[in-house]
Amino acid sequence: MYQRTTFSQLGDARTGKLADNLSGFGRTLRRAGVRVDAARMALAQQAVMLVGMAREDVSAALEAVFVSCEQDRLVFRELFDVYFRNPNVAQKLLAQMLPSAETKAEPAKRRPRVSEALAPVHAARNAPAPREEDKVDFDAAMTASDLQRLRHADFNQLSASEYLLVERLAREVPLPLPRYAARRTRPGTRGHRPHWPGAMRKAARSGGEVLEVPLLQRRQQPLPVLVLVDVSGSMERYARLLLAFLHAATAPRHAGPGLRRDVFAFGTGLTDLTPAFRLADTDAMLDAASQAIHDFAGGTRMGDSLAQLRMHHARRLVGRRTLVLLVSDGLDTGTPEVLTRELAWLRRHGGRLLWLNPLLRFEGYAPTASGAAALHRQAHGMLAIHNLSRLQDLAGSLATLLRQ
Amino acid sequence: MNSSIAAPVPVSIDALVQALQGVGYFADRRLATAVFLALKLQRPLLLEGEPGVGKTALAQALAKVLSRSLIRLQCYDGLEQREALYEWNYAAQLLHMRAAEGKGSADMAQVEREVYQDRYLIRRPLLQALQAPAPGAVLLIDEVDRADEPFEAFLLEYLGEYQVSIPEIGTVRATAAPVTILTSNRTRDLHDAVKRRCLYHWLDYPERERELAIVRAQVPDASAALATQVADFVGRLRSQPFANAFQRAPGIAESVEWAKALVALDTIVVDPEVVQDTAGILFKQREDVAALTSDMAAQLLQPADATA
Repeated sequence: MYQRTTFSQLGDARTGKLADNLSGFGRTLRRAGVRVDAARMALAQQAVMLVGMAREDVSAALEAVFVSCEQDRLVFRELFDVYFRNPNVAQKLLAQMLPSAETKAEPAKRRPRVSEALAPVHAARNAPAPREEDKVDFDAAMTASDLQRLRHADFNQLSASEYLLVERLAREVPLPLPRYAARRTRPGTRGHRPHWPGAMRKAARSGGEVLEVPLLQRRQQPLPVLVLVDVSGSMERYARLLLAFLHAATAPRHAGPGLRRDVFAFGTGLTDLTPAFRLADTDAMLDAASQAIHDFAGGTRMGDSLAQLRMHHARRLVGRRTLVLLVSDGLDTGTPEVLTRELAWLRRHGGRLLWLNPLLRFEGYAPTASGAAALHRQAHGMLAIHNLSRLQDLAGSLATLLRQ
Repeated sequence: MNSSIAAPVPVSIDALVQALQGVGYFADRRLATAVFLALKLQRPLLLEGEPGVGKTALAQALAKVLSRSLIRLQCYDGLEQREALYEWNYAAQLLHMRAAEGKGSADMAQVEREVYQDRYLIRRPLLQALQAPAPGAVLLIDEVDRADEPFEAFLLEYLGEYQVSIPEIGTVRATAAPVTILTSNRTRDLHDAVKRRCLYHWLDYPERERELAIVRAQVPDASAALATQVADFVGRLRSQPFANAFQRAPGIAESVEWAKALVALDTIVVDPEVVQDTAGILFKQREDVAALTSDMAAQLLQPADATA
């Protein structure tokens, strides 16, 4: 049977503590990236008054009001626990984030979003003011010029806290994938062919009079994408960021239904990241991916990895329309001949082979390394992806390259 | 499900859980809380979750609990406003005009007025829900993620104010706010504006006890041991180490179907062979059926055997 525990932490409505606590909690949620507006705050108060003060009920009620997608749900639950159960936990959490306490802190199990959201709020309220040099560097409320600088800063030159912020920002960058007109049609308003059966059905409804002729338009389907990400040592920092970006940008809820998305990581071997990419939450995907990839920050043998791809997955992955995105700096330790052969195969069997190269940040960069030279010869195009602003331009550049 | 006397809204979350159980729907307390709030605050409730976890069934159960009629709007790609809201009965309108012509009626303005009357209006689900007599209906907007974005925008007025604007008639406002349940399989993200107007609940796969209760309630012929094995097996199948092997884990609907099939096959104890023979009921994809090998089935059945 359900156990009721009273929920004193919220306080009593008569004293106004309830409103305070709820709005504090709402603000914390907002910091964690959950969209909470004033209307929802008001609704949350009503909801809590309706369900009473049992902890479980309050949590369920606030979840129904504040949360509006699955990813936020997990963040909400963790945050609710920490925020209302014991303020000391929040303090501990802060302690974990401070460099001086790092050695004795328990390993943080929380989602990064939760830790980030809690840190500044409770730092002000519960913890003694940290010394200047101990202050947590991260703050979401950056000034416009800071953001402007970060947009153009190379991923490889970011400080740890900036890296976190940029990773989060990268998830917001949209990547509208090019679409093609599929063979199948659907009734629509901008088609080229009349939809005769539809017209007859409509005419039957109006006593045989044809009042309008519906049209058939071709379905718009996003191009299937095959992403190959280099996770060798030289690419380590880019790989994590780009995985986060690609996961968010090609999620079904952004790219629409029907997108075929296959993702592989390659270093010394090939890892199928497609199951990890099926997870809805980007943090969960990154966790699953780092567990799956055994050769993170190892060497690169691109040719051999591509050969594995051809042997084991070719029929599933490569079709005439497939857009192949190869993320690599082209620094390869394998045999150039194998790489050239495999790339040529990929080029022949896929739609477009595009090379996303972070090394393009250097002025006067020339693909002289053997791997890079092979990539340069075989790829249909090369794009830079070393900072946020380049990521933002990516969709446009893709479209341009595909038109050529 | 039409009844002249509507049941009152349950007074507490516990009462709601009980009432839903009474009509064969086993809701956990968090879900019941969300439903309770939707009823009390008169807000639409958006349910998301994997297929087969009981989103649509909740609306049906709610209609039974409240003794209100269930109006269902099934969304699909290309759904238009007139199929959801209203349509004019063109055939009858034409007949009316021809008859007026035959009689030699000269006043065209008069004929036009006659043609746009209530009796030529075909009410589609949304309008039916708005015009349902007190205490109102239960409106299920099923798989709203399948409809196009313009349709979503069209829904905003309804979801926010329980009213719609019709050019020929004016604004139709609900006399009694319909209990509105939206479901989504998350094939795409819904617009924020829609979400802002709704309460939200993510329906997860049920925990073991609840699934067992559902199987036992829906398949009374199944023995206690068989029902337990079904619930255990399916629960383990969805658990983290195994879930990755399959594209889509079976929902509650599948476990109920499976239990029915096992009863029909006179199965007493589930063994790997039976599992493989009936895998087509658990999975709807050929690859998934193939992925459930005999070894894996044996592994999945192990803890159930150990407790039996």
